[in-house]
Amino acid sequence: MDGGGLPTSRVVSALAMRRRFIVTTTAQEPSCGRKQKLAEIHQALISDPVDIETLRRAAASKGGLLTDELRRKVWPKLLNINVYKLPHKPGRDVRENHKDYNQVVLDVRRSMKRFPKGMPSTERAVLQEQLIDIILAVLKHNPQLHYYQGYHDVAVSLLLVVGEQMAIAMLDTLSNYHLRDFMDPTMDSTKHILNYLMPILEQVDTELHDFMIRAEVGNIFALSWLITWFGHVLSEFKHTLRLYDFFLASHPLMPIYLAATIVLHREKEVKQTECDMAMVHHLLSRIPQDLPYELLIGRAQDLFDQYPPSLLAKRAALQSRKSLSISTFQAFQLSTLHQRPDSVLRRLTKAHGSSTSKHGLEAALPRDRGQLWGKGNRMVKMAVWGLSATLGAAVFAVAHTAMDWGPEVLLQLF
Amino acid sequence: MAESGSSVEFSGSLTLPPPRTRIFKIIVIGDSGVGKTCLTYRFCAGKFPDKTEATIGVDFRERLVEIDGEKIKIQLWDTAGQERFRKSMVQHYYRNVHAVVFVYDVTNAASFRSLPAWIEECKQHALGTEVPRILVGNKCDLQDSIQVGTDVAQQFADAHSMPVFETSAKNPNSQDGNYGGGNSDHVEAIFMTVAHKLKSQKPLVLSQPPEGSGGTINLSRVRDDGGDGSRSWSCSSC
Repeated sequence: MDGGGLPTSRVVSALAMRRRFIVTTTAQEPSCGRKQKLAEIHQALISDPVDIETLRRAAASKGGLLTDELRRKVWPKLLNINVYKLPHKPGRDVRENHKDYNQVVLDVRRSMKRFPKGMPSTERAVLQEQLIDIILAVLKHNPQLHYYQGYHDVAVSLLLVVGEQMAIAMLDTLSNYHLRDFMDPTMDSTKHILNYLMPILEQVDTELHDFMIRAEVGNIFALSWLITWFGHVLSEFKHTLRLYDFFLASHPLMPIYLAATIVLHREKEVKQTECDMAMVHHLLSRIPQDLPYELLIGRAQDLFDQYPPSLLAKRAALQSRKSLSISTFQAFQLSTLHQRPDSVLRRLTKAHGSSTSKHGLEAALPRDRGQLWGKGNRMVKMAVWGLSATLGAAVFAVAHTAMDWGPEVLLQLF
Repeated sequence: MAESGSSVEFSGSLTLPPPRTRIFKIIVIGDSGVGKTCLTYRFCAGKFPDKTEATIGVDFRERLVEIDGEKIKIQLWDTAGQERFRKSMVQHYYRNVHAVVFVYDVTNAASFRSLPAWIEECKQHALGTEVPRILVGNKCDLQDSIQVGTDVAQQFADAHSMPVFETSAKNPNSQDGNYGGGNSDHVEAIFMTVAHKLKSQKPLVLSQPPEGSGGTINLSRVRDDGGDGSRSWSCSSC
């Protein structure tokens, strides 16, 4: 248990602030397409109902959602989350009597690589404790779900972008839909999803497929890709975020299609390897860090359109097995169609006199964003926003020191 | 298709020339957090990892060693410890395994109590008694929190006819304890013991009958070709 809430909030607010700082300083590549995309996303966000199709397209198309600031607004929409009704901060009780507690703590406390290099260990420790709480809060809320190693890699990617409370809301939804198959008591459903991989390869490159069958490499090399949405294997956080944009806007099987495009992309390397399980597994499981993600994302979408899961299941005579992620996806997508824009949601929340913690709302989303972003010096706006979104003056001092290692994070993250 | 200049291509033929170096495939199993990744990394990379994360599924590492003038490739399959992975994901990797390394954490009694389940796991994957196994108690540098005594471990190992080692995959240089520089060599010795044992079991076929009484390993010399020079080390268990 960590002591007291105040220091925690301070440090983490500092982190949030720093990230905003980075966003503004890097968002300056002059690009007409980028500007247009930003405008489209903003327009989609204020449409009533929210233009979810445009948001999905933006998340999948070149560059994804572009900035963390936009991710904080678009990600919840992609998952049909009302940011004005976020879950409460987890109390100490989430850690009590949970069968997965030990495993979660073990995995989170050793997951140092997922945090920005250069982050002081004290800050990282605070975030790690939050991560434990987030995971256990979702698991407690959903007793039918079972923790798996790698779940923490998903949770941390959310936490670093959207903060604790929104991360809980997002993780809860993801766990019940996209990640649902991985959270069964056993991994049989996960295995079933993995079994879509080879049939995709077979459709596109029979020779490669046959080579891999001869090598008996199996598909476990792609397991961590699938169940962590690549969060476990990518060392650059910006790549992870780009993929999360894509996956949040896509069918739950999309990570498998992306896995297939990666294997196809490395076809020559694979075929030149000794046709042996160990060698091929070794080659494929080490994912190159300089993959052309935009290209691969486009290809994965093409593959998905050309060989949708239902077609693969038929052609490859995949053992029929009920996949909750697949079977609930359509209903899930429909549910995202009727969301009100945040301005309306906020008004409704106020009108209902909801007692949802004001602090929570504001931490989740900057108040009066429109005015703040309208004109003037960006740095100042960021600072003001940071303050309005967090706890006040105390934060400012912490954030100030945080700037010291800003450039390092900048290199790491963006 | 895919005509390439060097044309190292298989043209439909399924017969491959036998590899010049023999390969020993060793699977490393045990509870989550006992240090399997650390141990295998230490042996294959020759150094201690800064930090290791949870293993998801199966990781593969290998190292070329020389034993009595023969170059041998040691392949280590480092597995996830969480039960759900072991139940349905890892089976594929038990196939054609030449040896098994069971790992527990000397500071975690539960990881020791899980060993019978791991042994049972091996049985279910049809790994016969002829497949050499060894038991490794890791993290023995944490002397103040030891929960599994050497005598208990030795008894257990004897009952299952396997040698037991206590070691630490942690950097001995960062420790001021009694173990000093010699400790890291245990990691080396552990895997080399297995390699020697396997080399002496010729030919390496799966259906090899159990040899003699089993469980006895006499190792006279372990050569480290990782550049640290050679040193003597011996182990025997009955």
